[in-house]
Amino acid sequence: MSIHATMHIVSPSRRDAYFDWLQMLTGLGLVIFMALHTALNLSIIFGAKSLDIVAGALEVLHLDTLAHVFVPILFLVHFVLAARKIPFRVDGQLAIWRDARLLNHRDTWLWIVQTISGMVILILGAIHMWTTITAGAVQAASSVARVQSSGWTMFYLLLIPLVQGHVFIGLYRIGVKWGVITDKMRPKVVKILVITFAGVLILALLALARYATLTI
Amino acid sequence: MARTLTFEIFRYNPAIPEQKPQMQCFTLAETANMTLFIALNRLREEQDPSLVFDFCCRAGICGSCGMVVNGRPRLACQTKTADLPERIILLPLPVFKLVGDLSVDTGVWFRDMYQKTRSWIHTKKAFDSDQEEERMDNAVAEQIYELERCVECGCCIAACGTARMRDDFLGAASLNRIARFALDPRDERTDQDYFEIIGNDYGIFGCMGLLACEDVCPKHLPLQNQLGFLRRKMGITALKQLFRKSSCAS
Repeated sequence: MSIHATMHIVSPSRRDAYFDWLQMLTGLGLVIFMALHTALNLSIIFGAKSLDIVAGALEVLHLDTLAHVFVPILFLVHFVLAARKIPFRVDGQLAIWRDARLLNHRDTWLWIVQTISGMVILILGAIHMWTTITAGAVQAASSVARVQSSGWTMFYLLLIPLVQGHVFIGLYRIGVKWGVITDKMRPKVVKILVITFAGVLILALLALARYATLTI
Repeated sequence: MARTLTFEIFRYNPAIPEQKPQMQCFTLAETANMTLFIALNRLREEQDPSLVFDFCCRAGICGSCGMVVNGRPRLACQTKTADLPERIILLPLPVFKLVGDLSVDTGVWFRDMYQKTRSWIHTKKAFDSDQEEERMDNAVAEQIYELERCVECGCCIAACGTARMRDDFLGAASLNRIARFALDPRDERTDQDYFEIIGNDYGIFGCMGLLACEDVCPKHLPLQNQLGFLRRKMGITALKQLFRKSSCAS
């Protein structure tokens, strides 16, 4: 049976457009933060002193305080906005899973990776933020002690690849969605992002190995 | 040496409710320059006259023969068996109403889409059949033609993850139609008019950028670029409205 009577008229709204802008901007904000955060962590490769110097410089600029206030907000807002597109009902989850398996299409699989990694990062990232924010100023000695205490190395061994993967897939997704990456640029950009991701991940894991083995 | 191809074909006639959907196997000797169009016609003529599938032009123009070939939506007439492995699995396009076996009704979906997107030139100028047609800049005409090449096969919709999850999502074919009219100088609709049609999660902001549409389009339409163009255009339209003063004085 079809209904021909108009029961109500949907009011035109700009809400979805603003949500989409905010999803992109919060994502970009988190990408910039992660770039700085990774740079800070990579300094441990050169020793505890270099980490303390970089952390001290960030403190002088009050970037640590800004990060402690704004990053959790960005993190939560980004999750809530991105979750609008995630199917929480089983039929939706099965539909996208079957679609990805049938198509075997790279970017569809990447979206699933991004969604699942986002869910895990929500939990692990929140734990990491709570621990670091409550610990106060970043110092090599306290960070090394934390990573070397029970379970934390494994925790970061899981969190680091997920976060770096999520960041690079997200950056690519923003580029193609907003038309910054055009069809002609796409293969080249994918290559650059994959190489950069691999490089950053290797360095980040090397930094983790330093945290896990350094004696202060 | 000629290969023997094995076809696994989805068989189901919704008009016979007691019949259960199943995959049926056929074998066929491959011939030179064989397309799926040729193969399916041979199967129907030589092995099973009840096999249902759609064809019209045989040249990638009518868009009738869209089907899922080894997981990817493609046009059967454009798909050479030489480019496929010996085992070929054929399924009907998802999202659309199944007519039978490999045949789906894309017509109802596209007609509904045309009405939703109001897919015609909107102008207040009265049509005068005696007047010479208004001239258009060649570069603009070529841009419009590029988007007009869509054959409405439905492959982009069938491959779209968002369309698979939400049947109210307009999809790339619809958004491409809007991009086509947004380019056309004869269409007097404003960005705000287009925003009212696609400026929401059913339209451009529902697109998750999976780009399967771009990757499966048999006509190689620049869908990725059009989706990006519309997202920016509609995003900026929304921002302009945010900063525009209300015309109603309180």
